[in-house]
Amino acid sequence: MSVGTLVSTRRRPSWREARIALLFVLPCLVLFVLFRFGPTLAGGVLAFTDYTIGADTSFVGLENLRRLSEDPLFWRALRTTLTIAVLAVPLSIGISLGMALLVRRAFRGHRLFRSIFFLPVITSLVLAGIVFSWIFSSGGPWSSIMGWLGLPDQAWLSDTTLVIPAIVIVAVWGRFGFGMLILLARLQDVPRELEEAALADGANAWQRFRYIVLPELYPALFFLVVIETTFTFQIFDTVYVMTSGGPANSSYVLVFQLYDQAFRYFDFGYASAIGLALFVMTFIVAMIQRMTIGRER
Amino acid sequence: MRTRKVMVTGAALSAVLLASACGGDDGGDANTGASEPGELEGSVTMWTYPVMADETEHRSFWDDTIAAFGEEYPGVDVTVEIFPWADRDQALTTAIAGNSAPDVVYFIPDQLPGYARNIEPIDPYLDDDAKADYLPNAVEAVTIDGQMVSAPILASAVTLTCNKEVFDAVGETEYPQTWDDLREMAPAFKDAGYYMIAYSGDVSQTLNLTFYPLLWQAGGDVFNEDGTDVTFNSDAGVEALTLLQEMVEGEYVAEDMLTAMPPTEQTQLAQGNVACAWHTEGKNLVEFWGEENTVILPPLTNVEQVAYGTVGSLAMLSSADDKDAAGAWIAFVTDAEQVATYNEASGFLPVKESIGSLYDGDPILGEAEKYTDLTTVGPLHEDAREIMGVLAPEIQAVLIGQKEPRQALDDAAQAAQSVLR
Repeated sequence: MSVGTLVSTRRRPSWREARIALLFVLPCLVLFVLFRFGPTLAGGVLAFTDYTIGADTSFVGLENLRRLSEDPLFWRALRTTLTIAVLAVPLSIGISLGMALLVRRAFRGHRLFRSIFFLPVITSLVLAGIVFSWIFSSGGPWSSIMGWLGLPDQAWLSDTTLVIPAIVIVAVWGRFGFGMLILLARLQDVPRELEEAALADGANAWQRFRYIVLPELYPALFFLVVIETTFTFQIFDTVYVMTSGGPANSSYVLVFQLYDQAFRYFDFGYASAIGLALFVMTFIVAMIQRMTIGRER
Repeated sequence: MRTRKVMVTGAALSAVLLASACGGDDGGDANTGASEPGELEGSVTMWTYPVMADETEHRSFWDDTIAAFGEEYPGVDVTVEIFPWADRDQALTTAIAGNSAPDVVYFIPDQLPGYARNIEPIDPYLDDDAKADYLPNAVEAVTIDGQMVSAPILASAVTLTCNKEVFDAVGETEYPQTWDDLREMAPAFKDAGYYMIAYSGDVSQTLNLTFYPLLWQAGGDVFNEDGTDVTFNSDAGVEALTLLQEMVEGEYVAEDMLTAMPPTEQTQLAQGNVACAWHTEGKNLVEFWGEENTVILPPLTNVEQVAYGTVGSLAMLSSADDKDAAGAWIAFVTDAEQVATYNEASGFLPVKESIGSLYDGDPILGEAEKYTDLTTVGPLHEDAREIMGVLAPEIQAVLIGQKEPRQALDDAAQAAQSVLR
């Protein structure tokens, strides 16, 4: 029986079954609308106002977006955010894939390794940021490693060029465990028989990975690319703790600007406009990824 | 320019005090509730922060104060909540937006303009004697548009603090008094393996403690007289930033705090490798340097001799339900006797004339107390904090050698144009 036959013979759920299913989904849906969709919508509306706490709010049309387009700090923050995403997303997914392949097979202590690799995901990024601030400080462990490699002892977080790689390292450290878990789950579904058959036919390790394992991972990889890109666009905690956006604004990211405008300067209308820009950017990138990577599924 | 600004503000202040004095009993008209303490009813919630480092001691102080207030105002229920300093504006703005704001909040002057529209002026709730007892600079620090928006409760003077142990090690017997002294002394300290100064250049650090004292000492200011434009890119600003640049390029400044804010105990300053600093109160360095080595000095002098000093105050939010009760609580807490107890317990300086000197003979606070007249709370401007947001990264750019002072300040001034409302 082909897959097509299976699909065509699948019974449509009855209205009664659908209602029961809806009942189960309802609590989650209500919470989602209340705490996700609602605030997003409200943020979108605020972007067209001059809302600030305690003052009368008026509709300002596209003024906040016009101001945004002329704000050099916004464009700089956008460039920094994109740079971090371009560096962090492939690196994170690459390491996730490598780690997933490493701990895929059962070997002595493989569960322990899986747990250790996942540990950063459940570690507070604020706490991690404090520790990494020390690691990257002048005379810290990182500069010692650089010293052993013959590179200059330099405080990475105080250097306008090196601060981005430092943040990328922390972001990847904090995320690769999640990706590893997703890919590991998918790897369990790759039929062993196919790999064994390919091995019997003389396929080497790379060929088995390229033509058997990787195609099976496409859906998970697509999911990870979207999730990791979204996460990286929203990076804030580590930047806030490690650099405060410095030195000289070189690690100032979009969410940091949003935070500053809302909670330091109380300009919630403008902050919402930044949020709206971030949402549109994330949406466009996700659509592009869906049309390119997603199509290969 | 600065002198003129002080004069103008002083004139406004005099007008406020005069109006209060002339108003006589009229001042109490705005307090529309029950005038007798025993009749007053309501509940008051106050948010404050770890003004006292010891949380138990701090909690105990407020519990005792609430009990004392309760004896006088049995119908008023007071709750004091102590929140962390970090992200306090975020918590407060969220609470205000969510209609769950407290009735009374502890503010420092540079917060006040941002919250001014949410604050109920405190003038009508304080009696004339209480207002007249305030030191003029304390009233000036909380006066916006001719009205006292909050009631001062404490002050500080963040002057120059030097490490005697470092000076002894270098063999230097004099402490710096002027910018030129810093320049002349710095090479000897460097040769002996010490830094002349520490500069806290992290962008989250308020410039009131770091760059602005230099700007003021050079005779400059952040805003023009009517607050319509920034003036930090004046020749005075360039001179101030050039001093910093010279000190950094000469390797006379500890690098660890130039662009980041590491935990204090990890800094060169705390570890006793820095001679002097002006961004933190001397009392904060005692635990690292020892009281015997912590020398509190007057502010550095260039064109002017001035330093930053804060004025902590209690303000009533306009959303307070029981305004009379909140006003009575603020008046009670900021009474001279209460203020003196609070100041002594927290190690801050008095804001009332009648208290006099609290720390006579104390080598740390007693010395700091002498210089309160030489302090300013910084610009009281609605955009003051946002201006810091555009200026601080440009100062960093100079400190890490990316820009020259003139260019950095001009760039910041240009960016400030989109900030000024």
